[in-house]
Amino acid sequence: MINAQIDTDQRIPATATAKSILRLNGLTKTFGAQTAVASLSLDIHRNEVIGLIGENGAGKSTLLKILTGVHQPDGGTIEVNGVPVRLRSAQEATKAGIGIVHQEQSLFTNLTVAENIVMGTGADGSAATRYGFYRWGQINTEAAEVLARIGSPIDPRSVVGDLTFAQRQMVEIARTIHVARQSATAPLVILDEPTSVLERAESEILEREIAKLRGLGAVIFVSHRLEEVLRICDRIVVMRHGHLVADRPSAGVTEAELFRLMIGHDITAASRPARTLSTAQPVLAAEGLGRKGAFQDVSLAVVPGRITAIVGAFGSGREELYRALFGAEGYDTGTLSVAGQPVRRWNVRKAVAAGLAYLPAERGVEGIVGGLSAERSLTLTHAGEARRGPFLIPRLRRKLADAWFDRLDVRPRDPALPLERFSGGNQQKVALAKWLVGNPKVLILDHPLRGLDPGAAETVKLRIGEACAAGAGVILLADTLEEALDLGHDILVMRDGRVAARFDLSRQTPTTLDLLEKMV
Amino acid sequence: MTRTPLPAEGMTTRTSPKSAFGGLRAEKLRQVLAPAAIFAGLLAVVSIAEPTFLGGGGPSIIAQQATPILLVALGQCVVLQIGSIDLSNAAMALLTTILAALMLGPLGLAAPVLCVAIVTTIGALNGALLVFAQIPSFALTLGTLGVLQAASLVVTGSNVVYVTDHLDVVDWLFNLSFLTIPAAFWITAALAIVLWAFLRLTPAGQGMAAVGYNERAATLSGLPVKSLKVLAFALSGCFAGLAGLCVIAISGAASSIGLGSDLLVPSIAAALAGGTAITGGACNPVNVIFGALFVALIPVGSAAVGVDPQAQSIVYGAVLIIAVAATLSRSRSGTVK
Repeated sequence: MINAQIDTDQRIPATATAKSILRLNGLTKTFGAQTAVASLSLDIHRNEVIGLIGENGAGKSTLLKILTGVHQPDGGTIEVNGVPVRLRSAQEATKAGIGIVHQEQSLFTNLTVAENIVMGTGADGSAATRYGFYRWGQINTEAAEVLARIGSPIDPRSVVGDLTFAQRQMVEIARTIHVARQSATAPLVILDEPTSVLERAESEILEREIAKLRGLGAVIFVSHRLEEVLRICDRIVVMRHGHLVADRPSAGVTEAELFRLMIGHDITAASRPARTLSTAQPVLAAEGLGRKGAFQDVSLAVVPGRITAIVGAFGSGREELYRALFGAEGYDTGTLSVAGQPVRRWNVRKAVAAGLAYLPAERGVEGIVGGLSAERSLTLTHAGEARRGPFLIPRLRRKLADAWFDRLDVRPRDPALPLERFSGGNQQKVALAKWLVGNPKVLILDHPLRGLDPGAAETVKLRIGEACAAGAGVILLADTLEEALDLGHDILVMRDGRVAARFDLSRQTPTTLDLLEKMV
Repeated sequence: MTRTPLPAEGMTTRTSPKSAFGGLRAEKLRQVLAPAAIFAGLLAVVSIAEPTFLGGGGPSIIAQQATPILLVALGQCVVLQIGSIDLSNAAMALLTTILAALMLGPLGLAAPVLCVAIVTTIGALNGALLVFAQIPSFALTLGTLGVLQAASLVVTGSNVVYVTDHLDVVDWLFNLSFLTIPAAFWITAALAIVLWAFLRLTPAGQGMAAVGYNERAATLSGLPVKSLKVLAFALSGCFAGLAGLCVIAISGAASSIGLGSDLLVPSIAAALAGGTAITGGACNPVNVIFGALFVALIPVGSAAVGVDPQAQSIVYGAVLIIAVAATLSRSRSGTVK
């Protein structure tokens, strides 16, 4: 929040209100003590493509959620076409002409393209239904019209489940445009990282679509690929720590400049004493590991007592690599060895038996069993001292849980509560403790500090450091480059599925910019 | 970007911890006591409408009828615990009665052991198919149900099969009694407690709950998810086999449309009335005892208050819906399928 001043000198002067599709004025959203969006003002005009960029946690998601009616702002106003609006639900946002195309698509895959496009708009004034019945001819014609407007050759009668990912994106865009036509407003289409999963040819099609959308209304384009943002967008806004820190025409701005704006001040790795342990035999080593379409020729060694941070942009293959190391997903080339022994038919069970531990990023979905009590969650993988013969003794389990609750300062101190009732930070502490109970040899941490308040983050960092000092090798996928530089002993930069650079922080002191250079 | 956290997560405890957690305790208490309470309520209604019921051998009859239902329900609740369902276990019970009727004469004491081993294996096969062919349990066990029913018909040739000899190997289950309640019921109740201990006090039982709640997280925690699924279905088969033995002990004969062929709906009803969550992860075998007693009591109760026997199914269905609404654990989420 220190570097929050907007560089006003280069801002585009506000043009006539009549041309403004969306105007945000002092928009603010806080979650508890955390400010996700801080007094943000932005004008989006007709026939404009806006690039929205920022690091993870910069507040982009929250802003998009406000615009699509998922979150309500705590302060500030939203004007659509000059009229103040309140967007209390996704439906209201759609009615106002704001549509979003997510990576996680929200289409009904069992229905046809036409149904998906026209559905949800039939109730008010559409000709899609008569006396409550679908008029199939009408639905297909309406959908075909919309698809024609964005120049898409998809047959409205095909079933969405049969389409490719890119085609489904087109359908989502068409749906948004259809809604806007119904309410006779110019559509504002938000594309949330639409290209990260597309092949090059598909990306080109999408770029043409965006050009068409520009003619119909306006587009907010969110992406981590800066060269793409520069190529596609007319104007780029940068968010950092909830603030809008820059608003520039894309002509005359460089990638490096945008990076610096996203990250703020440049951080250099603190020099640290060389570790004597680094000569120890790796507990886990990958040699030329690869999986088609995800990552290629990755070699790395996890050494006891060292933290290897892997950095890379979204889509660089680091997530897939992580899961392959833990046996949750496969690899098709190269070898993986544990304590010097190559492994075969690697899977999660074998990985856990070999002393690997994995803390997933998607905590609620993969990291915790929310319905189980915290104490049962804690003893799920390794029962530790709670086990007597074939039995888990509730009294001993409670004792174990109490000890870990103290060690990690989990609050409230009630291990009998279902884990889902704890706050995110405390859930993460229990998820970590579940592995620490078994004294893991390798800790694979996927965004371990994500969404944690500073206190919880400090505690988790401390325990990671302790486990590391006790001889565990750690692979870290950090939220930010600063975090990677702060915690890592080695840094591995990935780009397009390959290792682009390696830094040994006991000998080198790279800056965040050095890392960025290798990432893009 | 799309992976940005929702900071709102952190707010759960900040809002008002007292009321949230107080409510949780009350909800837990309700879940623990509700099955016993609905049984006691129905028993009170029956006793008032039919004063001779309690003194005139009523409890013994109810316990006898509840025993096979309870056994099948116990197997069902293990499968429900992992988030699946077994529609074929009642058919396995029926197959057991037929096999036992055929085998008791020639094999004697070995017959029940062999019968239970066969259906346990069939159950394990169900589980293996579920795990390796990835067929949803509902469809899979519906298929097994059809196969087993046809097998029962073929084996019996749609005739009644009488036990020729050695019925004494099993009939003591209902001839011996303690406090007027047949031994079989006491043994089954003891099994329910053993099953409770298994689910609550062993890593495998804890793992089953984890699979039922969140299979993905259970897998990534390194749990033997596949083995646990096979085990759950094998246990379902095993309990169904024991239920089949009870049926043969009661009737001394078996047929594909006779006693034991209508256990499916009552047993699922008993599991649900016992507070088992159909979405997985939450079940208490001890409460299923009350669920089974409740289900066995419904026909008696509706007759006692003067409902036409022809209309009994209406009462059965209605009471059941109310019972499940009162006992089911809904604290997990708003989605009910």
